[in-house]
Amino acid sequence: MSESVPITSEQNKYPSGDGYYVYCIAETISAEEIVVDSIPAAIEEGADLELITRDKLTAIASRVPMSIFGEEALAERLSNAAWTAIRAMRHEQVVEHFAKQTSVVPLRFGTIYLDRSGVEQMLSDQKEQLTAIIVKLQGREEWGVNVYCDRDALLENITSVSARLREMAAAAKQASPGESYLRQKKIDALRADEAKVEIERAIGEIERKLTARSDGVTKLRILTVETTEHGDLKAKFAFLVLKVEFEHFRFAAEELARQMETAGIRIELTGPWPAYNFAAP
Amino acid sequence: MDSSFEQVIVGSDEFPGDAELSLLETLDHVLNRGLVIAGEITISVADVDLIFVGLNVLVSSVETAHEVLRERQQQSLPTSELAERPGD
Repeated sequence: MSESVPITSEQNKYPSGDGYYVYCIAETISAEEIVVDSIPAAIEEGADLELITRDKLTAIASRVPMSIFGEEALAERLSNAAWTAIRAMRHEQVVEHFAKQTSVVPLRFGTIYLDRSGVEQMLSDQKEQLTAIIVKLQGREEWGVNVYCDRDALLENITSVSARLREMAAAAKQASPGESYLRQKKIDALRADEAKVEIERAIGEIERKLTARSDGVTKLRILTVETTEHGDLKAKFAFLVLKVEFEHFRFAAEELARQMETAGIRIELTGPWPAYNFAAP
Repeated sequence: MDSSFEQVIVGSDEFPGDAELSLLETLDHVLNRGLVIAGEITISVADVDLIFVGLNVLVSSVETAHEVLRERQQQSLPTSELAERPGD
């Protein structure tokens, strides 16, 4: 009696064999030196870190089971937030391990090749672009700048913070009692608008002044409204900063924060990060 | 003192004061940014957006954030120790 084994959809969904998960790319010489000392943990338990080299460029990678990282299997796992968060953290650990010591091109999560030759081919095909990025990021790191506003604090102080309202308040003082009352009413009506104006002005000033202290800037879109103890998140930037210039950058940020404190504006610096936001050619 | 300026060092071994922020920022970098090289497997950008929004909700669960952050504390293995691990 012959038994045929039906090919179930399960088997198609979860292919066997391994693929290569790539974290980042660096110059071969540097990558080889770094792994002599220590190697970070890989994206999946049981996996190792490997260097896949093509001439002067090396991809930092891990061999991973396609039963987990194949297209459909991965898409399913990604719907599990905890699973995803843990893999993302591991990815970051690897990139940081190398980025601390050399210029790397950080890759986004989920770059997977079916075999080594695919990775080598990529390193060859993208040689110019990758080299240019590595050079661009040399000696630099990314710093995040988050700008929050405590709206209550701002509204409380807005008549002194806003130049326009200050003028109007001065004029109201000079006027007769009746006139003064009307002028004051007008000032009150404008407070919310002026608060808006002030926030935009402050964000613009922060961007300008910190850009002057950096090598690159990008304004990031805010995906979800974030309200924290510091207020509402109003703007989010990433700056590319020369490591040797960071103290100047930080000083400028501190100074801005001091100046804008009465306006309820709070500046938060996060980093240093590998330059994820500046990894495009 | 409530300072108007805060520097959160996330890239070092010190644990930042705001662990949740560190986690969210890491996720934002790794899932949303970084160079996209067309590997042979790709994740669609739309999917990642959804994941990220979902993660924002998840991260406010302190338990999960701690579980994930424990990963951060994994030490790098010195290469000499690796050589002694049982082979695959």
